[in-house]
Amino acid sequence: MAVIGEPDRSATRSRRRREVVFRMSTLVALVLVVGPAAWILLGVVLRALPHWRWSVLVTPTQGAAGGLSNAILGTLALMAGVLVVAGTLGVLAGVFLSELAPVTGRRWSVTGILHSATDVLAGVPSITLGFVGYLALVLALHWGYSLLPAVLVLSVMVVPYIAKSTESALRQVPTSYREGAEALGMRQGYALRKLVLRSAMPGVATGLLIALAISSGETAPLLYTAGFTNTLPKAALIHHPVAYLTYPVWNFYDYPTPAAHYLAYDAALVLLALVLILLIAARLVVARTQRYADR
Amino acid sequence: MARNIRGTWIAAVLLAVGLVAAACGSASTTSTAAKSASKSSTSPTSSTASSSSSTGVTVETPPSASLTETGSTLLYPLWNIWAPAYEQKYPQVHLTTAGTGSGTGISDAATGTVDIGSSDAYLSTSQKAAHPTLLNIPLGISVQVIGYNLPGVTAHVKFNGKILAQIYEGKITSWSAPALKAINPGLTLPDIPIVPLHRSDGSGDTFIFTQYLSKQTPGGWGTNVKYGTTVTWPSVSGALAEQGNGGMVTGCKKTTGCIAYVGISYLSQLLGDGLYYGELMNGSGNYVLPTSSAVAAEANYFTAKTPADGTISLINGPVPTGYPIINYEYAIVNTQQSSASTAKAIRSILEWAITPDNGNSSKYLSQVSFQPLPPKVVAQSVKQIAQIK
Amino acid sequence: MAILGGATGAAPPASPVKAMRRASLARRIATAGLAHESRVWKIGGWLAASVPLGSLVFILVVLGHKAWPSVIVNGTHFFTGSAWKPGSTYGTTVHTHGFAHPAGSSYGAWPLIAGTLQTSAIAVVLAVPISLGAAFALTERLPGWLSRPLGFAVEILAGIPSVVIGLWGVLTLGPILAQDVYPAIADHMPDVPVLSYFRNPVGHGEGLLTTGLVLGLMIVPIITATTCDLFSQVPPLPKEGGLALGMTDAEVARRVTLPWVRTGIIGATLLGLGRALGETMAVAMISGAALNTISPNVFGTMGTIAAAIVTQLDSSFTDGTGFATSALAEAAVVLVVITVLANLVARLIIARSARHGVPVGRAG
Repeated sequence: MAVIGEPDRSATRSRRRREVVFRMSTLVALVLVVGPAAWILLGVVLRALPHWRWSVLVTPTQGAAGGLSNAILGTLALMAGVLVVAGTLGVLAGVFLSELAPVTGRRWSVTGILHSATDVLAGVPSITLGFVGYLALVLALHWGYSLLPAVLVLSVMVVPYIAKSTESALRQVPTSYREGAEALGMRQGYALRKLVLRSAMPGVATGLLIALAISSGETAPLLYTAGFTNTLPKAALIHHPVAYLTYPVWNFYDYPTPAAHYLAYDAALVLLALVLILLIAARLVVARTQRYADR
Repeated sequence: MARNIRGTWIAAVLLAVGLVAAACGSASTTSTAAKSASKSSTSPTSSTASSSSSTGVTVETPPSASLTETGSTLLYPLWNIWAPAYEQKYPQVHLTTAGTGSGTGISDAATGTVDIGSSDAYLSTSQKAAHPTLLNIPLGISVQVIGYNLPGVTAHVKFNGKILAQIYEGKITSWSAPALKAINPGLTLPDIPIVPLHRSDGSGDTFIFTQYLSKQTPGGWGTNVKYGTTVTWPSVSGALAEQGNGGMVTGCKKTTGCIAYVGISYLSQLLGDGLYYGELMNGSGNYVLPTSSAVAAEANYFTAKTPADGTISLINGPVPTGYPIINYEYAIVNTQQSSASTAKAIRSILEWAITPDNGNSSKYLSQVSFQPLPPKVVAQSVKQIAQIK
Repeated sequence: MAILGGATGAAPPASPVKAMRRASLARRIATAGLAHESRVWKIGGWLAASVPLGSLVFILVVLGHKAWPSVIVNGTHFFTGSAWKPGSTYGTTVHTHGFAHPAGSSYGAWPLIAGTLQTSAIAVVLAVPISLGAAFALTERLPGWLSRPLGFAVEILAGIPSVVIGLWGVLTLGPILAQDVYPAIADHMPDVPVLSYFRNPVGHGEGLLTTGLVLGLMIVPIITATTCDLFSQVPPLPKEGGLALGMTDAEVARRVTLPWVRTGIIGATLLGLGRALGETMAVAMISGAALNTISPNVFGTMGTIAAAIVTQLDSSFTDGTGFATSALAEAAVVLVVITVLANLVARLIIARSARHGVPVGRAG
């Protein structure tokens, strides 16, 4: 840690003033970041709580009223799908980019192109992914609004994220592990699974949790792929729309009945709770690993 | 070497595509298996035989089905009253409703992503050409009101198509404009700017509103802007775009000086929010309020003219006492359904909805200030519904 | 074990043998699988790592294919025209260059492109200084027991779903700004260049500045988090050296820390910019979702490409010729190109300065 001392006595008045301004402005900036975050959280919580009914969690939506059980289960189903599809693809891609991809050192190597594509895809706006999912999967393949197109679109959205976090977690595994495994005659794949990936697991898990948090809060790609339904999710990948928590917020916030309004805020509250749980879980994973690392 | 790598890469991409395709194949089989084993309703089925009503409409007993409806936000409140009532009678059917705008209702019915699309607008010739199997089936008669937020003004302000067109073109910008004063003698209108609200989504309300403007000013709006579920709104400073009828009411409530075209099913919310609605000039030049008798007068005139496919504009008729913006509310449905059981369930819901002692009874319609379909149109709708296979 | 499976000899009952054979077969497959594990990893990795590239190609092919009629019919007018005209879907259908579209339809996306750039520019201008200041405070000034929870608050801000931020923006922030803040600004602005954009009318809280503010708020956590990482990678020695020479904290920050991480900050800024350009739901709720309006001042309603897509896509299919959907697809292609360009420029800047050897601390 840097030792922060008092400014030198010989500092001129203007330097000292500048220093005070600097310190104040960094704190003001911090307040400007943390303040709105607290304002948003409190704003939503305070508007949701006075009308909160626990029955919201177990009753399905009925028109512009009712509860959220369909949306909660739908969001969980979508998250499970993303975990399976994007989790597999993202971790594999991360492993490949970090451990297996040929290193040529040339600028336009295949690895370099795959890497760049991952970065570029991470920057593609989610609404365009939803647009493509709608045109290609929902309409052209006649899947209709359903679970599979929604999961695929969300997965394409978070695969770059999972791949990146997996890659950086793997890069933090000491090279000596790999060398040791090679010296012991372990096959590369075996060493990867038993040694390298295992030590990188906390980093990978954190990436997965945050990717889940991102996908649970998405709206734009789901509006045109998942549709919405008052019924609970069915064990069907296509042809049956799926509800999700962001839909009531977007559709009922300006609907002029109190019940619709409450439902929008209730959905926002449940969403915030869900995201918060995922973020805290990610933090706990990191904290636990750091504790082990310190020993 | 380089070529080799490229080859591998292309092979990898092809393989990935193949895998995805394979996944799709297996997915569809799972879903069909799941479809038959879905629906777990515990409540007892009330009737097993088709119920026939005095008006000759037979409501078929639906098979177990889960259907979706989307579209018109004007019809949405009524669907939200209809759906629970219908499900109570036929618990084996589950209907999900959504108020997304008539444009979406037409679109999603056309693309087959919903079972029933709702629209305040009938299908255009180009839509019929693109989707010849789509029907627009009248379900009821609705009305549009012109709402405004003028604190202190609790009288009905008079409007006509010319003035409304000029407001939405940005040519009349203040509530105290001479043109407005001229047709509202004795009314004190405040000197505040007019904020015109229009719909951002594809909307049947936009359709009937712009049709009214076009018919009243054929050389003005009717030439420059025309009508449709989405139109090119002239750029007016301060104008607001709102999503759905709900957005129009909510937006108008928080915007002093606003003017908004709103479906009658939102009248209670509109008035509850402290807003008011205007008198409109009809095709005979009289200013009329949207009373049920004025709506009935207008509807009566058009009943005989309504063609078998229900495609007709009820706007600006020549009835001296008629209210000029009324419309049929349509169900947009594809005649060719994926399965006979889905088709039967859709038929059942629609038959139930148009029957005078079921969905078209005043018990439901009065809650949203709709008018029932005239018997002649009911009979025509029955024939259209029978085409759904 | 494997020998057992092979040494069956004269087997009395058939079933145990079969079971054993089956077991051994499974084991052999497993052993073979293990032997080929490296290859399995490699092939799976190849496939998975190709998914992003494949998706990008797929996105561009699907959107490009859909956009083609609009590209041909609208031509350059798409970028310069300022009216999004669906034409009359209830009128006649005409053909231009062989593509059917409703009479009177022509699409100019300039207000949407301008709106996208304007809101993102406001967001970046606001977010960068705030993020840098906050990152300084978090990494350099505050003790760990305070900076850790505050850092988590930044992470939460990043995690709040955009539709929830939109909900707050349109129902809580917008009305406050329109009633109390904007009039106070607008009433006191002189009619001189630049500042005249802050003059009346203030509108209703939905519009350009509100959208820019909210977008700024949404990208602050991205830039802050990245900058925090960068700052914590600056080795302590140069900083301590600066302090030992009698520099103030402000001077160390300006002369040591910032130059050290300059390129990283540019990268972080462009990451934030990318997010702001493509943000959809919050903008659709807060901007006023206009299609044809470039706001005359900073308070007026406007729209962005992303917001236009989400509000128009479903009803665009009312155009039986598909031309409205085609125009939206072209808008989506433009959006993808803009965001990808921002991304590539960021990578180019970072790569170039990395070659010039600006020390960006790297762990391994």
